[in-house]
Amino acid sequence: MSTTLAELSEFLQKGRVKNVKELVQKAIDEGISPNVILEEGLLSGMSVVGEKFKKNEVFVPEVLIAARAMNAGTTMLKPYLVQEGVESKGTVVIGTVKGDLHDIGKNIVKMMMEGKGLNVIDLGVDVSAEQYVQAAKENDADIIACSTLLTTTMGEIKNVVDLVKKEGIRAKVMIGGAPVTQDFCDSVNADSYTPDAATAADVALGFCS
Amino acid sequence: MADTHKQRFEKALRREPIVGHVPQFELVFFLTMEAFGKVHPSHRFYEQWNQMSHAEQKLHIEEMADIYIMTAKRYDHDAIFVHPNPGDLENTKWLLETIREKTGDEYFLMMHGDTTVSIPTGDDMIDFSVRMYEDPDSIHDQQKRWQEDAAKRAAALSGTGLLDGFALCSDYAFNVNPFFSPDIFAELVAPHLKECIDTYRSLGFYTIKHTDGNINPILDQIVDCGPDAVHSIDPQGHMNLLEVRKKYGDRICTIGNVNCGLLQTGTVEEAEADVRRCIREGMAEGYGFIFSTSNCAYTGLPLERYELMQKIWREEAIYR
Repeated sequence: MSTTLAELSEFLQKGRVKNVKELVQKAIDEGISPNVILEEGLLSGMSVVGEKFKKNEVFVPEVLIAARAMNAGTTMLKPYLVQEGVESKGTVVIGTVKGDLHDIGKNIVKMMMEGKGLNVIDLGVDVSAEQYVQAAKENDADIIACSTLLTTTMGEIKNVVDLVKKEGIRAKVMIGGAPVTQDFCDSVNADSYTPDAATAADVALGFCS
Repeated sequence: MADTHKQRFEKALRREPIVGHVPQFELVFFLTMEAFGKVHPSHRFYEQWNQMSHAEQKLHIEEMADIYIMTAKRYDHDAIFVHPNPGDLENTKWLLETIREKTGDEYFLMMHGDTTVSIPTGDDMIDFSVRMYEDPDSIHDQQKRWQEDAAKRAAALSGTGLLDGFALCSDYAFNVNPFFSPDIFAELVAPHLKECIDTYRSLGFYTIKHTDGNINPILDQIVDCGPDAVHSIDPQGHMNLLEVRKKYGDRICTIGNVNCGLLQTGTVEEAEADVRRCIREGMAEGYGFIFSTSNCAYTGLPLERYELMQKIWREEAIYR
C-alpha cells in the first residue's frame, strides 16, 4: 500500500476530516485509481474502526467521527468513481419501524454500512412495511434493515417480513435494536438479527457479495 | 409504630435493614388511563396555563397530585417521582405542597435533576461527537450552566420538606456499551456528575442515578461519584444485578432490573421467572434493594403484566 493511502487510513480512523480531504486529493494527484483510494484508504480505515468497535476498543463517538471523515473523502471521490464506472457493493434500505421515532441506532448502523461501501437509502423513522417494500422495489435493494427501540413497536417487524414474502421481493430483512433478540428474529422469520452496528455492516456486506 | 413508605425507602437507600416488603417505585407509571381513567400528568399540555383562573389551576394541580397518590396507593409504591407540569419552580412547589398536604410525609418525593450530558439525539450525535474531541470546553460549559440552574432550584426547595431527592436520568449507555468511552466519561462527564451529587447532598437531598444500557465499563466511575442508588441495572444491556450487588452493594443501593422486554413480549412464564430472578438477586447480598422495572411502566406496557409483577412482589418480595 502507498504511503499516502496508509496515512489516509490512519487519519480516517482518527476522524480528521481536513487531513482526509488533503490526502484524498494527494492520492488523486499521484494518479492512484479512485477505486483503490476508496478500498485501500477509506474503506480499509473504516474497517479497522469497525473491528475495534466490536472489540470495545473504540466507542460510538469514535465511529461517528471516523464515518464523518469517510463521508468527506467519498464525496470528493464520487465524481471520479462514477467516471471509472465503480458501483457500490450493494444497496440497503434502512429505517426505524412504524410507531417508533428513535433514530440513534439506525443512524449508527447506516454509517457502518456506508463504511463497508454499501449504498444506504435512509427512510428515516416511523416507516411502514409498505414504505420499506416500495423503496426496496424502486432501488432493487439487496437488504431491508429494520431498527426498533421500543418493545411496543417490535411487532411491526413481522409486518415487514410478511409483506416482503408476500410481494416476493429478493431483499433480505435484517433486524436490530434494544429489545430485539435472535429468538425474536427466528419467530418472525427475518433473515438476520445482529446485536451491534459493526456486525450488522459485516452481515450486510456478506448478503451483498 | 410502623415505618412510613418514605422511611422504608430511605432505609433502603442507606442500605439499612428493614423488615416486610422490599421497597418499590417506578420512575414513571404511565398507565394511568388504563388504571384510573386519567391522563398521566406528563401527557398533559397546558398551553393556556397562565390564562387560567387560580381556581382552575388549583383543580388541575389537585388532580395531578391525586393521580400520583392513587398510583402510589394502588401499587404500594414507597416513592413518588413527580414530573411537574408546568415545570417552573412556583408550580413545582405548588404540586409538591399539594401532595404533601394530602399525604403528609408518607411518601418519598423526588423529581428530575441531572446536570450531565446524556447520549445525544440522532440529529445531534455527530456534532456532539465532534465537539467531544474538538471543543470539549463547550461541553464542560454547558454542564456548568445546567449545574448552576439546578443548584438554584435545589436551594429553593431545600429545607422546605417538600422534596426528598433527585433522580438523575441522563442515559449514558446503549445495550452493547456506553456511548462515552471510560476515558471520555472520566474527562467530560464524571466531574460534573460528582459536583451534581455533592451539591444535592449538601442541600439535604438523596440522589438516584438512572441510566439504561450496559454501564459496566463506567460503573466504577459512577459509583465513585457517590449517588445513593443506581437505577435501572438494565438486563437488556446485559447488566447482572447479582454481580453489581456483590461488587458495589456496600456502597450503593440498587434499583430496578425487572426485564421490560420480557415483561412486554415474553410468555407469562418467562415474565414470572424474570420477576422472581430479580427479587431473588436483589434480596441477596444484604439490604439496599428497591424493586422496579428496568425502565418504567411505559406507555404500551400491558397493565396486566405490570400487575402480574406486582402480585409476585406482594407475595414473595418480603424480608423475614
